[in-house]
Amino acid sequence: MRFKKKDLVRLYRNLVRARKFDQAAIRLLGEGKFTSFFHAAYGGEAPGVGGTTFLRQDDYIYAHHRGHGIPHAAGKGADLFSFMAEHCGKITGSCKGITGFHACDPEYGMLGAGGTIGSAFPVSVGWGLAAQKAGKGQVAVCFFGDSSAGRGTMHEGMNMAANWRLPVVWVCENNGMGQFVPIKDAYPLEDIASMAAAYGMPGVVVDGQDVVAVAEAVMAAVERARKGKGPSLVECKCLRFRPHVEGAPDWVHAEVRPAEEIERLKKRDPVTLYRKKLLKQGILTEKELEKIDGEIDAEVQEMERFCETGAYPDPSILQNALYAD
Amino acid sequence: MREILYLQAINEALAEEMSRDETVFIIGESVQGSTFNTTVGLVQRFGPDRVMDAPISENGIAGAAVGAATAGYRPVADLMFGDFIYCCMDEVLLKAAQWHMLHAEKVNVPLVFKAAIGGYSGLCNEHSRCPEAVVLHHPGLKLVLPSDPYDAKGLLKTAIRDNNPVCYFYHKQLLPMTGEVPEEEYTIPFGVADVKREGTDVTVVATSFQVSLALGVAAEMEGKVSVEVIDPRTLEPLDLDTILESVRKTGRVIVLDEDTLRCGIGAEIGMQIMENAFDFLDAPVKRVGAANMPIPGGVLEKTCLPQPQDLANAITDLLGMDRFELAVQTAGVKLL
Repeated sequence: MRFKKKDLVRLYRNLVRARKFDQAAIRLLGEGKFTSFFHAAYGGEAPGVGGTTFLRQDDYIYAHHRGHGIPHAAGKGADLFSFMAEHCGKITGSCKGITGFHACDPEYGMLGAGGTIGSAFPVSVGWGLAAQKAGKGQVAVCFFGDSSAGRGTMHEGMNMAANWRLPVVWVCENNGMGQFVPIKDAYPLEDIASMAAAYGMPGVVVDGQDVVAVAEAVMAAVERARKGKGPSLVECKCLRFRPHVEGAPDWVHAEVRPAEEIERLKKRDPVTLYRKKLLKQGILTEKELEKIDGEIDAEVQEMERFCETGAYPDPSILQNALYAD
Repeated sequence: MREILYLQAINEALAEEMSRDETVFIIGESVQGSTFNTTVGLVQRFGPDRVMDAPISENGIAGAAVGAATAGYRPVADLMFGDFIYCCMDEVLLKAAQWHMLHAEKVNVPLVFKAAIGGYSGLCNEHSRCPEAVVLHHPGLKLVLPSDPYDAKGLLKTAIRDNNPVCYFYHKQLLPMTGEVPEEEYTIPFGVADVKREGTDVTVVATSFQVSLALGVAAEMEGKVSVEVIDPRTLEPLDLDTILESVRKTGRVIVLDEDTLRCGIGAEIGMQIMENAFDFLDAPVKRVGAANMPIPGGVLEKTCLPQPQDLANAITDLLGMDRFELAVQTAGVKLL
C-alpha cells in the first residue's frame, strides 16, 4: 500500500493518541484511579498503531496486552474513552467496569479480549474462519507478544489458519522481554518470524519502532489475506520502556534493568523517530505537529473528565448477565 | 412410533439444525468419518466447509469455535472424548463460559461443545471421564446429559439454538441404545427434569448412562422397594423443583453420578436438597459415584465406577433393609 500524506498524518495522530493515552493510564494508575493493573505500551506503541490504522472497520483484531490494546484500539478507531473508563471500573466502561481492562467495541471489530497469554491464537482462528465464511473480504489481525510464541496455542492456531488459508495476519510484537525473561533465553533462534516457515506462510521481520514500516508490512499481509492467499506472520522488533507491569520492579531474571539501559533504548522512541521523519520529508511542520499534539492533549483531558464523572456499576448489573436471552 | 439409535438421534439433530440454519457448522477431529458415528454422512450432505476435519488441536478447535461464535456463527465443536476437554480448559472454561458476561453482554457465544463421555468400557483414565463437575464449577456453560434417544435429539436441537455455550455430553454406553423418536420436529427445553420412573419409597437422581443403571436396579427391586428415578437432563440449568417435589413425596434420596464423588454433582444436589427440603427428609441424603481415584482400565475399572449393586446397597441401607444381591451386579459393555 502506498501512503498518501493524509495517511501519514493519520498514522501520526494515532501514534500520539496511543502514546498520550498510555501515559495517562500510567498516571491514572499511580493516582489510584484504576481498579485493576496496567501493562504499559510505552516504547512499543508502533506495532499496534501501524498494524491497525489502515484496516477496515469490519476487520477483526485481537489486541496485544501491552497497553491493554490502547495502541490497537487507537489505530482501529475504537472508543478509547470507554476503554479508559473500563480501567477506572466505571459503568461507562467498554465492559461496564466488569473486567477493569478488556476492550470491547464490536462495531469496530473488537469482539473482546482475554487475560491468558496465548489465548489470542485460537480465537483469532475463529474470527478468520467467520471472515472466510462470510466472504466479505474481512481479515482478522492477531497481535501477540514474543513470549506467547511459547504457548502451544500458537502452533495450533497458526497451523489451522495456514491449513485452511484463512484471512488471518499474525503480528508479533517482539519487545525482547516476556515478563522478566529475555526472549533470547526463551527461544533458541533470533527471529520469531522464522517459525512461519513451519506453516508454509510468509514471515517477515520489520523495525517495530518504525510505525510506517509496520503499517507497510502488515497491510501487505492484509492484502494477501483478502485475496484468499492465506495467513502471514509479521514480526515487529520493538521495545519496552516500562516494567512488565506498572508498580513492579523492572526485572530481567533476578536483576533490575538499569536506568541507563532504558535511556539508551529511548533513543529509539517510536514517536520521536516518526516526528523526525515527517519533518525531514516535509510532510508536516513543527507547528502542525504541535497542533496535533495539542488536540490530543485536549482529548486526553476530556477523557479524564469522562472517566471521573462516570458512576461505579451497581452490583445488580451482574444479576442476569451470565447468559444471553 | 419408530425407534432409532441414540447415535442416530444425535446425527438427525445435527442434520436438521444444519439444514435449518446455515450458520451452524461442525468443527472437530475426524468428524467427517466420525469416531462414534454421530456425524456420519454429514460431510456428504453439507460439504467439508460445514463439517470441518481439524488437526488434533483441542485448543485450536475450541478457541476457533469461540471466535466464530462471537462473530455470528453457531459452531458445534466436536471434542471427541469428553476427557479431551482437559486439553482446552482455557478456551472452554475461561473463554466460552465467561466471554458474554465479562464483555457486558455485548457479545454472544452460541456454540456447542459436543463430547462422548463415560466409562464401563475399560478405556482407563483418559477415555472414560464424565467431566461434569469441572464444567459446573465454571458458571456460564450450560450442561446437557441425554439419557435416551428421544432426549438426545430434542436436547441437541435446543443446544444448537441456544445463544450461549452448551456442553452436550453424550454417553458412549448409550450409543447403541434404541428408543422411540418421532419423525416430527420437536425440541426439549433446558431445565425441565423428566421423571423416568415413578416410585414412593426412595428418589434416585441420575443423568446420562446412570439413568439406565438406576432403571435396571429399580426394575429388579420392584415388589421390594418402590424407586422413583428423576433425570434432570440438564444439570445447568437444574430443575430443582422436580427433585424437591419427589423428595417431599419419598423422604429419601440418592444422587447417583458417574463423575468422581468428591465435589461432584451428588454433593451439589445433595446440599441443595438439604437447604430446601431438610424437613421432608427421613434420612440423610446419600451419594453414589465414582471412587476418589483415577479411573483404572481393565478389570479394575468396576471397582471405581458406580455399579448396580452399589446403588442397590445404597437403597437398602437408606431404608434400613437387609442387603440383597442383584442378578447382574455390574454394568457396561465393551465398546470395541
